[in-house]
Amino acid sequence: MARILVVAEQRSGKLSDATLELCKAAKAIASAMGAAPAAAVFYKDDSLAKEVAKYIPEVFSVVDAKLEAYNADTYTEAVKAVVAAQDVKGVLIPHSYDGVDYAAKAALAIGAGIVSNCNKFEMQGGTLVLNRNTYNGKIQEQRSIKTDKFVVTFEKGAFDKEAAGGAGSVTAVAAAISAPRRTTKEIVAMMAGSVDISQAKIIVAGGRGTKEKDKYNDIIVNLAKKLGGEYAASRPVVDAGWTDAARQVGQSGKTVAPVLYIAAGISGAIQHVAGMKGSQCIVAINKDPEAPVFNIATYGIVGDLFEVIPAIMAELG
Amino acid sequence: MKIVVLVKEVPDMESKFKIVGDAKIDESQIAFKMNAFDEYAVEAGLQLKEKFGGEVIIISSGPERVSKEIRQAFAMGADWGIQVMDSQVDEGDNYVVSAAIKKAIDSLGGVDLVLSGVQAEDDQSAVTGVMIADLMGLPHCTNVVKIEVGGDGKTMKVNRELEGGFNEVAEIAMPALLTIQSGINQPRYPTLPGIMKAKKKRLDIKKAGEIGAAELGEAGSKTKFVKMFFPVSEHKAEILTGDAKTAAKTLVDKLKNEAKVL
Ligand SMILES: Cc1cc2nc3c(=O)[nH]c(=O)nc-3n(C[C@H](O)[C@H](O)[C@H](O)COP(=O)(O)OP(=O)(O)OC[C@H]3O[C@@H](n4cnc5c(N)ncnc54)[C@H](O)[C@@H]3O)c2cc1C
Repeated sequence: MARILVVAEQRSGKLSDATLELCKAAKAIASAMGAAPAAAVFYKDDSLAKEVAKYIPEVFSVVDAKLEAYNADTYTEAVKAVVAAQDVKGVLIPHSYDGVDYAAKAALAIGAGIVSNCNKFEMQGGTLVLNRNTYNGKIQEQRSIKTDKFVVTFEKGAFDKEAAGGAGSVTAVAAAISAPRRTTKEIVAMMAGSVDISQAKIIVAGGRGTKEKDKYNDIIVNLAKKLGGEYAASRPVVDAGWTDAARQVGQSGKTVAPVLYIAAGISGAIQHVAGMKGSQCIVAINKDPEAPVFNIATYGIVGDLFEVIPAIMAELG
Repeated sequence: MKIVVLVKEVPDMESKFKIVGDAKIDESQIAFKMNAFDEYAVEAGLQLKEKFGGEVIIISSGPERVSKEIRQAFAMGADWGIQVMDSQVDEGDNYVVSAAIKKAIDSLGGVDLVLSGVQAEDDQSAVTGVMIADLMGLPHCTNVVKIEVGGDGKTMKVNRELEGGFNEVAEIAMPALLTIQSGINQPRYPTLPGIMKAKKKRLDIKKAGEIGAAELGEAGSKTKFVKMFFPVSEHKAEILTGDAKTAAKTLVDKLKNEAKVL
């Protein structure tokens, strides 16, 4: 039977949550298409393949010392080898840093079309149709894939994590893995800083809508202080140097889960939301009533943050 | 060093979006601008040129108005450019666009480096750069936040951003393609003399056929657009209405007495 294949993702030998989410996705898509869910695991030994087999009935394991760490060239070769050896219809890859780095390359290598950054699927008359965010999450688009095989990358959190429980089979797949053209020297931490915003109970975060450094300080930092919390920022604020990197919330920044998170002048791009959606109570202040941040907030104020925040300050006394 | 920078025009995300017939956005309502991630790529290209000499060539695909973004890159300091202007390319998917841009790059007869933004703000797919690299047979690195070219001018040390504040430091041989992430630099503003010069810089307009791009339109695409729509969220924030003062008062009250977080 044709397989819907998850390519597992790991860092330092630890499987990512996205892998377990895609195990769930593979089962759902396979069942809708009359196919079988499976996974491919690329690693230096078959320990991770055995681990993934707890989540999905069939695992194809490519073992090579060169697969200890992720690499675009070696992963593409490994995907190609599994697709050549098995009846694979679809390949599911996380829309993560590593996934984005090789999914399109792997798609070309197996002659498949790719739809990336998806968050949902449905069947329309026997065709797999993928939903994806466009225009900063303001518009959803649906696409299908015309080629016989397909590659899809899914956003983090699009599916729940599959629970462990099964005892799937592990089948070795032979692959000739060449030396990659990009070689990893080391992995380094870039966001070390004096504050640890992940411990804060109250966070006031400012985005590009705060306009400039002085205004960011005046409005965001002062409200945070008044509330006895920490101030934080979306990425453009850090890129522009208005505050330091240790205060960036999101996919490439910190993950926080305070009791109260106030997002002011932040649109709610998925990479930002990834870092703060676990907050207990979220307040969004944005002048654009269609800003995606209102889809995750508890309370929203549609208005100019330069009027709303001083009014909140006054109200707090 | 011969550096190609790929630039895309995108809507300003604060524009008012209207969908026409489930199929496209009403462009008459939209303000267009250069994809923010591409501005970092242009700046990265210019900085390398300043260090190693050579030229920065801008390539973009799109309708006539896209020349505005190309000229913006010229005003920043890029040397000349190619605009692939063909509705058959615009109607294609990522693969069609990548294949056409690959042909445009081929027409330069060998380059040292290709740079693009990490993703386009409009389609958010992050696949075009990687596809072009693969079609050209080049090694690539995505999400690059630091570039150091080695003394030999043939290898680079790059930082690839990873999740949660980590970077992979990698070595990559040139020619290569890098997709550039925000924060790598501060893109310069075009100067007035820059803007004046930009008007006179060479911009070659090419039809798909002229660069030998053959996989075009819907037929050449590997994916098919079905429709677009505004998302319906299962969750919507409770919107606190009234002027700033009233909304602020309601908020503080709710935070204290309803959510009990203050
Ligand atoms: C691989 C990758 C990783 C990323 N990692 C992160 C990350 O870790 N964290 C992160 O934040 N982003 C990250 N990003 C960037 C992310 O995609 C968005 O670009 C970013 O989050 C946008 O920040 P913003 O909401 O502040 O700015 P914008 O999207 O520009 O939004 C500004 C908002 O402010 C509003 N506004 C403007 N003026 C006012 C006013 N006076 N009053 C009220 N509202 C106003 C506007 O309506 C708009 O909604 C990443 C991107 C990529 C590709």
